[in-house]
Amino acid sequence: MAPPEDLVTKTQQSDPTISSEIFRHLVRLAALELDDEEAEYLRRELNQQLQAIRDLESIELPTDLPITSHGVPYSSETRPGLRQDRAEPSDKADAILEQVPEVEERFIVVPDIPHTELE
Amino acid sequence: MPEFEAIIGLETHIQLNTDSKIFCACSTDSWRVPPNTHICPICTGLPGVLPSLNEQVVEKALILATAMNADEISQASFFARKNYFYPDLPKGYQISQYDEPLAVNGSFELPLPEGNSRHITIIKLHIEEDAGKTVYKDAKRLIDFNRCGVPLVEMVTGPDFRSADEVAKFLIRLRQLLRWLEISDADMERGQLRCDANVSIRNVGEDRLNTKTEIKNVNSITNVRDAVQSEIERQMREVKAGGEIKAWTLDWDDQRGVLSKMRSKETEADYRYFREPDLLPIQTSPSAVAATVSQLPELPLARRSRFSEVYGIPEYDAEILTEERSLSDFFEATVAAHGGNPKRVSNWVMNDVLRLIREQDTLAGELGLRPGELAEIIGMVEAGTISSGVGKELLEQVRSSDRTPAQIVEEDGLAQVSDASELSETAAHILEANPDQVAAYKGGKTGLIGWFVGQMMQETGGQADPKAAREILESLLEG
Amino acid sequence: MSAEICELPAHEIVARLRTGDLTAEVVLEATLARIEAVEGGGGALNGDPNGANGIHAYITLAEERARAQARAVDRALEAGDNPGLLAGVPVAVKDIFCVSGIASTAGSKILANFVSPYTATPVVRLEAAGALTIGKANLDEFTYGSSNESSAFLPTPRNPWSAGHVPGGSSGGSAAAVAAGEAALSLGTDTSGSIRQPAAFCGIVGMKPTYGRVSRYGMIAFASSLDCPGPMARNVKDAGLMLLAMAGADAFDATAAKVPVEDYLDQIEGGVRGMRIGLSPDFSRLRYPDADTGELREQVLQPEIEKALLESAERLAEQGAEIVEGVDLPAVQYGIPAYFVISRVEAASNLHRYDGVKYGYRSEGEAADLFELYRKSRGQGFGSQPKLRILMGMYVSGEQYEKRYYERALRVRTLIRRDFERAFERVDAMLAPTTPTTAFEIGGIYGDSVAMQYADLLTVPANHAGIPAISIPTGLDDSGLPIGMQLMGPDFTERRLLRMGRALEQLQESRPPLVQERVGA
Ligand SMILES: [Zn+2]
Repeated sequence: MAPPEDLVTKTQQSDPTISSEIFRHLVRLAALELDDEEAEYLRRELNQQLQAIRDLESIELPTDLPITSHGVPYSSETRPGLRQDRAEPSDKADAILEQVPEVEERFIVVPDIPHTELE
Repeated sequence: MPEFEAIIGLETHIQLNTDSKIFCACSTDSWRVPPNTHICPICTGLPGVLPSLNEQVVEKALILATAMNADEISQASFFARKNYFYPDLPKGYQISQYDEPLAVNGSFELPLPEGNSRHITIIKLHIEEDAGKTVYKDAKRLIDFNRCGVPLVEMVTGPDFRSADEVAKFLIRLRQLLRWLEISDADMERGQLRCDANVSIRNVGEDRLNTKTEIKNVNSITNVRDAVQSEIERQMREVKAGGEIKAWTLDWDDQRGVLSKMRSKETEADYRYFREPDLLPIQTSPSAVAATVSQLPELPLARRSRFSEVYGIPEYDAEILTEERSLSDFFEATVAAHGGNPKRVSNWVMNDVLRLIREQDTLAGELGLRPGELAEIIGMVEAGTISSGVGKELLEQVRSSDRTPAQIVEEDGLAQVSDASELSETAAHILEANPDQVAAYKGGKTGLIGWFVGQMMQETGGQADPKAAREILESLLEG
Repeated sequence: MSAEICELPAHEIVARLRTGDLTAEVVLEATLARIEAVEGGGGALNGDPNGANGIHAYITLAEERARAQARAVDRALEAGDNPGLLAGVPVAVKDIFCVSGIASTAGSKILANFVSPYTATPVVRLEAAGALTIGKANLDEFTYGSSNESSAFLPTPRNPWSAGHVPGGSSGGSAAAVAAGEAALSLGTDTSGSIRQPAAFCGIVGMKPTYGRVSRYGMIAFASSLDCPGPMARNVKDAGLMLLAMAGADAFDATAAKVPVEDYLDQIEGGVRGMRIGLSPDFSRLRYPDADTGELREQVLQPEIEKALLESAERLAEQGAEIVEGVDLPAVQYGIPAYFVISRVEAASNLHRYDGVKYGYRSEGEAADLFELYRKSRGQGFGSQPKLRILMGMYVSGEQYEKRYYERALRVRTLIRRDFERAFERVDAMLAPTTPTTAFEIGGIYGDSVAMQYADLLTVPANHAGIPAISIPTGLDDSGLPIGMQLMGPDFTERRLLRMGRALEQLQESRPPLVQERVGA
């Protein structure tokens, strides 16, 4: 979910800082439960990092400058071929399930999501 | 009161019928397999794993793109990560395509019953991985990752459909095409073809698009039609009552036949797409596209019109004969081998061969009855060598044996008997054994001639030429 | 005898095994004895942060696995079979690689109980070459740091040259283990300098190969477009040997390039005569954000490092290399800001999978619903550094910021790459210090995430460009802490870089002080 419209425009007009509102939004997106002290530390550090990357915005970039997905370019000689379509059963299914915190008849169990009943 | 029209667009998800999953070697076939058995570190998103792209996924998606007349197939299309938390998504992101999909700008001409067609635009077509399955039990969700990583093509149409019926017709055509191209089994009940529908309404004559709702998770063509129809009617009622259409996401309950609003928490998203660094772009050279185009089989709608034009068979026949590729190939090969009236071949295929196909639950090409053999049987019936009844029985005998029709006729003595002296002898026996019927015939009940012919056929094991038998019987009875 | 085995170069161990002078079991027992003597206990969840004044390089020891491997190597030798390139060589695996049947923690509470069902490709290849997997080395949590202080497993590793200093990071345990003779080699990873920087801090050799030279399969991902597994060793030849055992395409990594693997050893003594080696002012003009104001200000290199750079250039020139000064790489100054963005976006996504559902830490007690389970498991399982990276990644990749930050950073990466491409038209390699300073004090920077990131200022450009780079020990500073110089070359020129590195390296004759304290000089 995008942050409320007013937050977006505000941050774009002024120096980038992460308000407590945006911070709460990010924390929710990130699915992190934080105590107050940690939240305060993280927000402070985030704002310092944002200052450090502010530099990026002032770099003049030619408009036709392409993005680089990996530093090293891949050519037809260096890119590996695609995988052949051959099914081979893995012998790791049970070992994978052994790592799962809660299993029921080979299903992985998670709590439900609360229902919002229909109007 | 203005008249409304419905505006519908589809987002279809097509499971490609590869043997292995899109990014790992696990089998894609998990029908009736215990949960979490066709899984490996890669498709369950263990720490440290990487995807490795299945070549056939690209190949099959490309076939679909060319069949959909996509005029822009990207020479380099990119994978992107669609990030969101959901328990059926083990990595917490889906590997999909976003800003540079495999193909854009395709089209499909959907035939309508009135004889015209609806131009459906295919906005884009991209490759992605499927998520797992969730089963609900009490207050728990049970997750099965068997389906994780099954390859999908997502195909998005323009808002070009005007009724629920058109949507259903399109899905039938799409299913036919996917099977025809042998790239998907397209069984909706098994989730191999899924579809979300975006529905809105407007006054006839307007060309703006109003707020739409999205119907998700419908698992049969009938259900799609019912869900869309019910949503169109709901929107019309709402607007007529002065209400407003909100951009809801709706769920179809096929048990009760009602739509319900999905839980809001499940529909919010900020996917933060970015290019998947673990995969290189899909390279599709113009020569690869040209090769795919040149190897594309004739598509069903084209073949349907050709059949009625070239062979002069009714449209109804052409439709049935092109429902499935193997059957249409079979028909065409039989016509070629037979060399005579295609309509006669069509009758045989549509009645007798189709029945055999259904009985055997197979495809025409795997039936065991070859087009040349069918042509030979039809030819023998036409020449009067065998009766049509014997011909029909021959189909099964030829199918289940290694002998040719001519061998069976020869060895089993199935040829028709039209030799007059042989038939006269048999006829005399029959008259002798049935004096009551003879008396009745002579008393004026000449309709009994059919009964006498039947006795002849029975007596000769169906080999009597019925025409010759009738003539001989008549002459004996009246003589 | 057994103490000296722990100082033997890996290639020497392999040679002596082949002559029957040593057995893998003897090497292994000597290594375990060294660990016993210097380690002072490995890192543990809720461990004592102060430790026992040992090296504390490891999180998990894999004695059983290593013993079985040693026996297999000795059997192969007895049978006259080829025991492999790395037969009997003890290797510490950074605990960011999955190894089947062993805890694979990433230095995080969220994976503390995770036992991998599969083994990472580089480890598979090392083991196939006869290496002995001694254990899993400590690291910054999920590799997020340059000091190793962010690990959830305490105590965190110490610099063998000074107990009060960090070993660097994120491959801190790896560097410390190799420097202290607790392993002959270590498998590290380098996303912005995580192999080279700790190698420099601990006085060993560390190489970041070309992106795609070594498979990433089984390496728990940080920033997938930058991550490189690579060798850490006490000398250049060993680094080459280790790379040789690991490099090459892999069916499980679609980005592992199909470039033939060269023999990294056959020309390693070939010298540098006629090679052109560049120096750039852009690796000496450092721009740091001020801790208080955030304003960028220029800072000079630590004087001993400046001096070591000139001495290194001289040494190479004396051996016949042509030193080319004034090679401009103007975009490298943006390396850290661009890295802040790219790495965070990829990291946030890579960390999505840790949710308490499939493996690893799950919050205790009933969660009211699924999303609470996510929040609690992640909130309690991750330390501050992963959380920071997730939040920053979320921020800069949000739909409304993506173009402003992420896309821009990817274009800046293009600029950096082009700078190097231009430079390599003139020179065969660039020479620069690996780090702006020698090892810093424990607690000196930790907590200040910006200052910590700037420790990678000189190493991150090679990651952006994807090019190979090797850090070479060249001596000690005035307080006895090691100094490292790095050589960076064009794509897939590892063989030439190793040869240059061999000409440059200055091996320390004496054991690091912490080892001396416990096992003698
Ligand atoms: Zn799998």
